[in-house]
This record gives sequence, structure tokens and C-alpha cells, in this order.
Amino acid sequence: MSGGGIAGSSKQKIEPSKPADAPSFKRKRGVFQKDLQHMMYGYGDDQNPLPESVALVEDIVVEYVTDLVHKAQDVASKRGKLLTEDFLFLIRKDLPKLNRATELLAMNEELKQARKAFDMDEEKLATVD
Amino acid sequence: MKQSQDPFEAAFVEQEESPPESPAAANDNETQNVDTPVNDANQPEDELGLDATVDNNVASTSATPSASARIAQTNNKNKEDDEDEEEDNMEVELGKLPSSGDPDKMAVMQTILSRFTEEQMSRYESFRRSGFQKSNMKRLLVSITGSQKISIPMTIVVSGIAKMFVGELVETAKLVMAERKDSGPIRPCHIRESYRRMKLEGKVPKRSVPRLFR
Repeated sequence: MSGGGIAGSSKQKIEPSKPADAPSFKRKRGVFQKDLQHMMYGYGDDQNPLPESVALVEDIVVEYVTDLVHKAQDVASKRGKLLTEDFLFLIRKDLPKLNRATELLAMNEELKQARKAFDMDEEKLATVD
Repeated sequence: MKQSQDPFEAAFVEQEESPPESPAAANDNETQNVDTPVNDANQPEDELGLDATVDNNVASTSATPSASARIAQTNNKNKEDDEDEEEDNMEVELGKLPSSGDPDKMAVMQTILSRFTEEQMSRYESFRRSGFQKSNMKRLLVSITGSQKISIPMTIVVSGIAKMFVGELVETAKLVMAERKDSGPIRPCHIRESYRRMKLEGKVPKRSVPRLFR
């Protein structure tokens, strides 16, 4: 059994005959546990979701993201590099997700512009002083 | 305006009185291409949520006050509402809630929010603020792709998509629970059933290669 620490929030998945020199593909459990608890409550679950449910949802989400990324890589393989647009292409049929993703990207751009402007103003203030 | 227990019903009544404007403008902004970043009326609804992912901190609002003040000056849209929100706690959300730049939508949201019970408000707060940690998501993406080049926007998009997926999962699980007349916290059997149904509806990407020997 490799390092089964119970006190910490992460437990090593038991990987039989996995050599130590292999790149770390071991998936720790409970990586998203805290986030998922809040998320599940927000979406309608109990204030304290069952740990088994959280673990199951985490597994499902990781599998979902994995499949999504693999599909995106397939789409991007022709071009070569994996881009954000590949993900948007994959969810194009799912309108709520697509709108949400474009909204998030737009917000990110806004924040970047605002921060850049803030930095420039700070510089101006510094030089004036 | 009649006093109604259900905040959504109350908002619906108010909406009937003042029909919303043409949503064409809002829709155009929403469906706009990513290549040209939207810089005007596409008001983000979940500024708190994005900031949580950007700043890696789910529990607290983390923009510095000086940054907010500055940003408010340099940005002459409703964006200042967003920045103000970040400093304050949940109470502010009642006051200024940005949403796709549509004033009617904002007004409706405000009506709804003002009538929330405490429990509803706490749940809504969790819904808005929760999100996947950017660092964890990035680590996961790196381990899946095997490459180190994961851009920040990509992490943001994947986190957003994953959060909505969790939402669908949990909501379907609640539906399953209601059908089985169960109560209490959601159990794994509900989630499994919910996942099965979503697979049938095609909401879960199918594996081209089945995963053996997990």
C-alpha cells in the first residue's frame, strides 16, 4: 500500500506494479473534494453531501474532463497545438455551456485589460511622485 | 403587486408588468466569436465565480480595494459594480448584480434575490462562488495531455464546463431522488442513475476507446 495517509485530504490510488520512475500519473483522491462539496450544495444537494457521493462525482468529472480533452486533442491534431477553440468546438451543440464558456473568456479579457490599465496608471503615479 | 412566498413567482409577476426589451442585442453579444473579445455590454453574471478561479480562492473575494477603485475609474461600464462586489460579502450582491447588460434582466434578478430566504441565499452563494481550483484543474489537464502548455483561458473554460456538468449531474440526481421519493443527502445510487440517464441523452462524451483495467 503506497502512502495511505488518512489525515490528509488526498489518498494515493493503489497502483499495482507501477515503477517509481514512471511520470506521476497516479491520481490522488479528493483533489476536488472541498470545491465539489460547495458546488453540490449550490446545485441542490444537502449542506453536507455524503463523502461517497462527492468521491463518485469527482470520479465522474475527472472522466468527463479526460474524455473531453482527448476529443479536443483529436480535433486539434490536424492543426498541431491544442487551443481553447477546440473545446468550444466540442461543446458547440450544448448552448448553455457554450454561452457560459464564451462569457468566461470575455470576462477574462476584460479583467486582463483592466489590470493592464491599472498597472499603467500605477506607473504614471509612481513617476509623478 | 401581490406578496408571494416564491421569489421566482414574484419576479415573474413583475416581469409581466414591464415586458422585457428585445433580447437581440444581448444575444448577439453572447454568441459573439471568441476571437474578438467582447468589450461592451456582455456583462458577466458570475464575476465572483471567475475571480475565484482566477485568484485561486473560492472562499473569499480577493481583489484588493485599491485595484477595484482604479479599475472602476478606468473602466466606464457597469464593470465597477463587479469590482465593488469583490470587496464586500454576499450582501452586496443584492444591490448590484450584473447580468448580460440587460437592465430588465438585472431588475428581475434583483427582485428574485431580494425575496430569497436565508437558506436560498446561502445556497445561491455557494452556487456562485464555488468552482474548481485553477491549480488543481491545470494539474489535471497537464496530466491528461501530457504536455505542459496549458493556457490559463483553457483552464478557465474547462473549469466552467466541468462546473456546469456537475450541475446537470446533481440536478438530474435530485430528479431521480424525487421520483424514488427519497430524501436527505444525495446518495451514490442516485448519482449513478443520473449519470446513466445523461449518457442516454448524449450529454456525456462517449469514449472512442473503452477504458479497460482502471
